Amino acid sequence: MADTAGLGLAPDAPFVVRGRTDEAIRADLKRFGIALSIAELRRIAEGLQRDPTIVEAYAFDAQWSEHCSYKSSRHYLRNLPTTGPTVIQGPAEDAGVLRLGEFEGETYGIVIAHESHNHPSQVVPFEGAATGIGGIVRDVLCMGARVIAVADPLRFGRLDDPHARYVAQGVVDGIAAYGNAIGVPNIAGDVYFDADFDDNCLVNVVALGLVKANEIIHSCAPPNAEGYDIVLVGKATDRSGFGGAAFSSLVLDEADAEQNKGAVQVPDPFLKNVIMRASYKVFDVVRAEGIPVGYKDLGAGGIVGCTAELAASGNFGAIVDLDRCPTSQDDLPAAVIAIGETQERLAWIVPPSFTPRLLAIYNDEFSLPLVSRGACAAIIGTVVAKQNYTARYNDRTVMDVPLDFFTGGIRYDRAVEIVAGPPDGTPPAQPIAIASGNDALALLAQVLAHRDVCSRRPIFERFDSVVRGTTAMPAGFADAGVIVPIDGSPLACALAVDGNPRYGRIDAKRAAELAVIEAIRNVSCVGANAVGLTDCLNFGNPENAVHFGAFAAAVDGLALAARELAVPYVSGNVSLYNENKSGTSVPPSPIIACVGAIDDIATAATHAFKVPGHVVYRLGAAQTTFGGSVVADVLGFPGGALPAIDYTAIRAELGTLAAAYAAGLVFAAHDISDGGMLVALAEMAFATYDADRVLGFALATDLTPGDLAASFFAEAAGTLVEVADGAAFAALAARHGAAVDFVGTVTERSTLELHDGASVELAEAYETWSAPLRDFYEVAS
Amino acid sequence: MSPRVAVPVYPGTNSEDETLRAIHAVGLEGTLVHWSAGASGLRGFDAYVLPGGFAYEDRVRAGAVAAHDPMTDAIVEAAEAGKFVLGICNGAQILLETGLVPGTGAIRRPTAAFAPNGPSGRFRCVHVHVKLQVPTSRSPLFAGLGEGAVIPMWAAHGEGRLAATDAELARLDADGLVAFRYSDRRGATSDAAVPNASALGCAGLINARGNVLAIMPHAERDAWTYMHRDGAARAEARGASAAMLAPSGGIALFRSLALALGVRA
Repeated sequence: MADTAGLGLAPDAPFVVRGRTDEAIRADLKRFGIALSIAELRRIAEGLQRDPTIVEAYAFDAQWSEHCSYKSSRHYLRNLPTTGPTVIQGPAEDAGVLRLGEFEGETYGIVIAHESHNHPSQVVPFEGAATGIGGIVRDVLCMGARVIAVADPLRFGRLDDPHARYVAQGVVDGIAAYGNAIGVPNIAGDVYFDADFDDNCLVNVVALGLVKANEIIHSCAPPNAEGYDIVLVGKATDRSGFGGAAFSSLVLDEADAEQNKGAVQVPDPFLKNVIMRASYKVFDVVRAEGIPVGYKDLGAGGIVGCTAELAASGNFGAIVDLDRCPTSQDDLPAAVIAIGETQERLAWIVPPSFTPRLLAIYNDEFSLPLVSRGACAAIIGTVVAKQNYTARYNDRTVMDVPLDFFTGGIRYDRAVEIVAGPPDGTPPAQPIAIASGNDALALLAQVLAHRDVCSRRPIFERFDSVVRGTTAMPAGFADAGVIVPIDGSPLACALAVDGNPRYGRIDAKRAAELAVIEAIRNVSCVGANAVGLTDCLNFGNPENAVHFGAFAAAVDGLALAARELAVPYVSGNVSLYNENKSGTSVPPSPIIACVGAIDDIATAATHAFKVPGHVVYRLGAAQTTFGGSVVADVLGFPGGALPAIDYTAIRAELGTLAAAYAAGLVFAAHDISDGGMLVALAEMAFATYDADRVLGFALATDLTPGDLAASFFAEAAGTLVEVADGAAFAALAARHGAAVDFVGTVTERSTLELHDGASVELAEAYETWSAPLRDFYEVAS
Repeated sequence: MSPRVAVPVYPGTNSEDETLRAIHAVGLEGTLVHWSAGASGLRGFDAYVLPGGFAYEDRVRAGAVAAHDPMTDAIVEAAEAGKFVLGICNGAQILLETGLVPGTGAIRRPTAAFAPNGPSGRFRCVHVHVKLQVPTSRSPLFAGLGEGAVIPMWAAHGEGRLAATDAELARLDADGLVAFRYSDRRGATSDAAVPNASALGCAGLINARGNVLAIMPHAERDAWTYMHRDGAARAEARGASAAMLAPSGGIALFRSLALALGVRA
């Protein structure tokens, strides 16, 4: 068992590097549980011109981890487009800010952050997923924003694998326990199940905040901050979450699982609820009085990671007294105080004249010490001019490093081997023969029951989607979640998340493009204008050229799609080492979130059919391939090439949809994604089960004569749109140069009828679609 | 001057903003009163609306610790003085734990509780309708509702299943203390309409005096047109901002409270 807190040695004792052999150093690294490489340690000693102290070794271990430093990925991410008229703040701080719109003379911004909590969730699913929400909420909060929504893209293993079942249950329980308690609606999310996630689940989380553009608080020491106080707020520091950043940058080893549990943080949503409300009060005061402040979340790297970056980004230094940090026990080692990742903590930089009021708001008015044992706001240090980071403990200097060296990070140029998918036009391994409507309906039943198509409601119902009383379209009720965040304003905000692992496994670049396209399509389907993206890049071991090649290819795809469709990235996250010791990696999983702005909520629409007699069109280019499709998975053979991408056609499709919404033509819209067009039509009918009356649909045509498989089951094949005035809609599409095909008519009958008269009762199809996850989440649990 | 309504905020409360907004929308003056203000900070209001959340982390049982918060003394005093008290979700749980509702036992000796949802024991967030089960004459709080009114709401709780002894349940039913049952949108009650296996299909209880109402689902989260499920009201507001942003649906419960306080919206 590693000595994971450097116990038994004075905190300022040197971690001897210079003059020692690699073997001797390696033994110490193992003993102390430090993941730095020997080369990195030697570089640290060279940079400091001395051996690092024990505390410094742990601090660099966290700060130079992949998780914090992006040492393999950062130079790739520079290729992503990050500017545009909708960007208020790009990817520089804990979260980005996008322009939502104007109301009563004020410009409102949507703060967005996107993170992963994959490793912790695999080891301890409940706590891992809960602290994922906790962390992302702090990223948004510290921008001076009200936290207004969260969303969860989830990737689980097979539900017949015992540990994967445990993960799939525990993660949902953890998200529910945390998100519901803090009172932030969970409005979007997607879920995939795949054997390649058995050993490495993916738990991504997105949070949104609302802030006026001129009231953003920055995660940076303000100008002239020399002599300002550094104030730590929140839970008393304890042993939980020690080594979390380094843990997230390692391949998971089952043998280490018990030990790694100590690296997972312990969630406290009850305390967070109160910290959020107290922070809102502080925001009001500093705005009213124009007090210069900086505010930042404590995440990876703990107190040192957070306060070093706060100071460095303002071009200052800091002196922090670790013994002034409130702790839950007396004998906590200095290294644990310095870099442990105890949850529910943030740090302020404020002028000393304001400090007494800041402390009073947290400690008296909101009585943090009464809410959680040892919780409080406390001064722990001072901002200084010299750009050094100094940590002291019991009057001894345990850390003293130049900030540019410490936070400037390092770079790795990893080997890259790109494996491209089958070329466009590659047919499926076997022909998909569908002779009649009845054949198609038989296949539809299997596709509706597929684990990646069936109803997500049993999961979504576990999350409070309507707290705050702003939700217009909860998760599952429309292609994107929609909230109306400003009291009295018709401005609305849409959020969608996408990323298909079956596509990622075939071709990472194309999968990344398709994820961007689908996310933009989804917010467009509710009537929103896509204003910005975030990316969370979940990949395998970067030291493996094929896995890192997939990462590089995916970033290329993300950049291409975003440039072609003119939607920028404002925030993101990279999660590497999603691989177990036996070499099993997750499929390349670029997961995208897209924010949409809606000027008037009265124009937005869900995907539910609205009026019998209305007509439905398919807008956009048809697809004829089945690579990564659900139908290929159901039939059990490779589907050939991934869906083809024609950006000119997609721009025409999105342009038509936006113009149709502006003209008031659209009553419902739904993108054709997992499962294909028949699934999309069925879902539009299923959604009427939540409305006044159930409506059905009758197809007028098979669309692609002679190729029922392509018509009915090809994916990424455009958007279905319900309109009253078909001629006006078709004319609009023609003006935009978009392909448009008449599909059929909304009916009052509770059936889905195909072109040749074959039909299925909606109630039967609805049960087929509803049963699989209901049986897992409500019955089996 | 508008009647003044206090919205007490316990540590862990999370629905105070939307509750306050609904209070303001019906012409009442609402004030958030923070737990650090204690009982004295809560005295002197005309009515009380306890919002949803997880007061004191739902320790012991949802509402159980908050019922013993000193701030709650002021609510008990007000209820005993005949003032109107409405508890929503966690607020309803707190009112049951104080014993103010159903009011068949002594204060802080609850005779019924909202227990973990059946059958899963887990939190569920689902859209529901509730139907008024008693004549509107039963309480001034119902005077603004039609007889047998059906109101859309969101149920969002982990502990909302009414539980009591068989004898107590029979008494609640017989004495007209079950104010609301879960129903479908047309007002038909059935087991299928109950999201949590609540005894008697109960969504809300009122005390005998008719001044304290505890209701589990959230009317304030379906109280504006844009919050409604697809249907006639939303269809009529399509393309019309003012109608989409207008209070409707669940706001009826708050309008009725305002009417009880003498305010006609």
